Amino acid sequence: MAEAETKSVDNASIKMIEKATSDGVNTAFDRAETRKPCPIGVDGSCCSNCGMGPCRVPPPKGKEETPEEKQRRRGICGATAETIAARNFIRMVAGGAAAHSDHGRGVAEIFLAVAKGEAPGYEIKDEQKLLQLALDWGVEIGDRSNQEIAIDIGEIALAEFGKQEGEVLFLRRAPLKRQELWRREGAAPRGIDREVVEIMHRTHIGVDQDYRNLLRQGVRCAIADGWGGSMIATELQDILFGTPAPVLGRVNLGVLSRDEVNLIIHGHDPLLSEMIVVAAQDPEMVALAKSKGASGINIAGMCCTANEILMRHGIPLAGNFLQQELALVTGAVETMVVDIQCIMQSLPDIAQCYHTKIITTSPKAKIPGAIHIQFDEHNAMESAKAIVKAAIENFPNRGNNINIPKQQTDLIAGFSHETINYLLGGLFRASYRPLNDNIINGRIRGVAGVVGCNNPRVRHDDIHTTMIRELIKNDVLVIQTGCSAMAAAKAGLMTPEAASKYAGEGLASVCQAVGIPPVLHLGSCVDNSRILIAATAMVKDGGLGDDISELPVAGAAPEWMSEKAISIGQYFVGSGVFTVFGVNWPTLGNEEVTKFLFQDFEAIYGGMWAFEPDPIKAAHLMIGHIDKKRKALGIDKARERILYDMAMRRELEAA
Amino acid sequence: MEYEIEEKSAPGRSKVEVLGATYEKGKPKGEELGKWRQKLRDREEKLKYLQTGERYWYGQDWYGSEKRRNPA
Repeated sequence: MAEAETKSVDNASIKMIEKATSDGVNTAFDRAETRKPCPIGVDGSCCSNCGMGPCRVPPPKGKEETPEEKQRRRGICGATAETIAARNFIRMVAGGAAAHSDHGRGVAEIFLAVAKGEAPGYEIKDEQKLLQLALDWGVEIGDRSNQEIAIDIGEIALAEFGKQEGEVLFLRRAPLKRQELWRREGAAPRGIDREVVEIMHRTHIGVDQDYRNLLRQGVRCAIADGWGGSMIATELQDILFGTPAPVLGRVNLGVLSRDEVNLIIHGHDPLLSEMIVVAAQDPEMVALAKSKGASGINIAGMCCTANEILMRHGIPLAGNFLQQELALVTGAVETMVVDIQCIMQSLPDIAQCYHTKIITTSPKAKIPGAIHIQFDEHNAMESAKAIVKAAIENFPNRGNNINIPKQQTDLIAGFSHETINYLLGGLFRASYRPLNDNIINGRIRGVAGVVGCNNPRVRHDDIHTTMIRELIKNDVLVIQTGCSAMAAAKAGLMTPEAASKYAGEGLASVCQAVGIPPVLHLGSCVDNSRILIAATAMVKDGGLGDDISELPVAGAAPEWMSEKAISIGQYFVGSGVFTVFGVNWPTLGNEEVTKFLFQDFEAIYGGMWAFEPDPIKAAHLMIGHIDKKRKALGIDKARERILYDMAMRRELEAA
Repeated sequence: MEYEIEEKSAPGRSKVEVLGATYEKGKPKGEELGKWRQKLRDREEKLKYLQTGERYWYGQDWYGSEKRRNPA
């Protein structure tokens, strides 16, 4: 196997890794080779939360530790290895929850500005979702205009972040049993920011020093993300830009065009990308592009921004997290415009080797060496046009060192909860009943959410696609978001035809009947909130228990790397879902903390964590859990179907 | 469109004929094709759909599995 093939399973990426090497460009794949992970930090055994440290408290290698030795294995402040591991873990949760939720806050601020008529260019596109939130939050509908309703919703949404008492409002959407559990276990978040801040307080030197208490706060904070900040982001984005519906798209570096101005939008926030999509279609912009010798303007997405514009407009995806540098290596990208999250600082350095301009747009995310064009949401179209113009004017600077891989794959995206409900039941009786029925009758064994990032510590996309193929082969329907979804799409798993090629007989028969792929794309990483709602709909439809923890479902992030992934995993666990992570696990240095997360959590929350880097073994951990839940529900064995006549019914009623 | 009939084995019977997958060949064109929410024309229809389609949360007379233990 050639060296590049050990780094990625995707042929387009392999070609660009090879080109990067011949061009003398250093990428994350190279850096992962030379910069090995810190063996103490990777296990969560190092504390740098005060100036007395950093204190390293790894367990002894190759020998049994005496109780006295364990007593002495502490930080200078006296914190035990358990406290240190738990602190580190929930600080990751806080980081992830803060990122998703600050994204949600930004959307809420613009939403309110749109409602007040202060953000020209944006509009309320999905009135029904607006009405839905009004019902959720008790906002009067009556004969009020959409703008009046939206002002109330925007103000309530913004207040959710700074709320001090009560509960995050979207908790009411969860199954009733789950809500009771959260209240009983002190896991119901009071406000979104409060839970993040409380983690930073509790993990400061000399505050919370009971690892169980720390980890419980991690759950509360993560729920504030999934059922709070992320859900607010998803719902308000749907109102502003439309709730996703099935759409045909294309994915991989082959979507870049040799003849057109290539503008890649990278990051997470659709406020910017939606406006750039509109600006690029402006006849004035198209004419300018032609005047520079291009045949048009080609917009492509990268990372979760890509998922947002794919789900709503079918804009092609150039690639996932580990392809951001490789896209520049094609030599064909005029501009990469970035907003927030998962953006590599190396981009401007790589761009210097070609002609690409890197444009940062958010005051929260600047990079030395990039051009900063502040995106003003209150004057969005003007900002978007300035960015598109910068890309066009860079087209004549394109050099001769161009190599665009030919690989691109079709996919169907746009499977929001609302669309799944509609596809399964139709307009007049939208329903999850066909899904539940097919789980009960065993055609579908269960449902798995496979989400998360890429990580150059493992072979790019390989862990995702191997796991997903194993799951669908075993009749497990897979639902996806984020960079993981793009990995599956590149492998051709997101077309209806994939059902007959890769899925087990039972799952394939259902997919063919409904006309859906065996792997469904639900959106970006904040859209993991859509998975929570889909799971809740399965519970509420009936026949599969009264809580998410009773469903035959499991979750995974097999190539995770970001704190957001930890927060996502934690809110799935806190919502009752068994969740498996790959690559590495940040508490492995501490047995007690790991046991609490992997075993004791199940008794408290109904869901628990697991770690398994091998994708096939991880898939079978998930299938094993699904089978355990099927058995508990009494649907593990095929039963003979009996058609009851009236006499039998009367007999049943009399008994 | 021609219907395809497939022969499959069934429990208790040797072989049965079932309707195979039927679909229009080619790719969908245009962003609007998959969009279904526009079928709901006015606010009344949208609210009605929420009560029926999203009845798990907004229905007034049917609450799925939770009705049995938590009557409205």
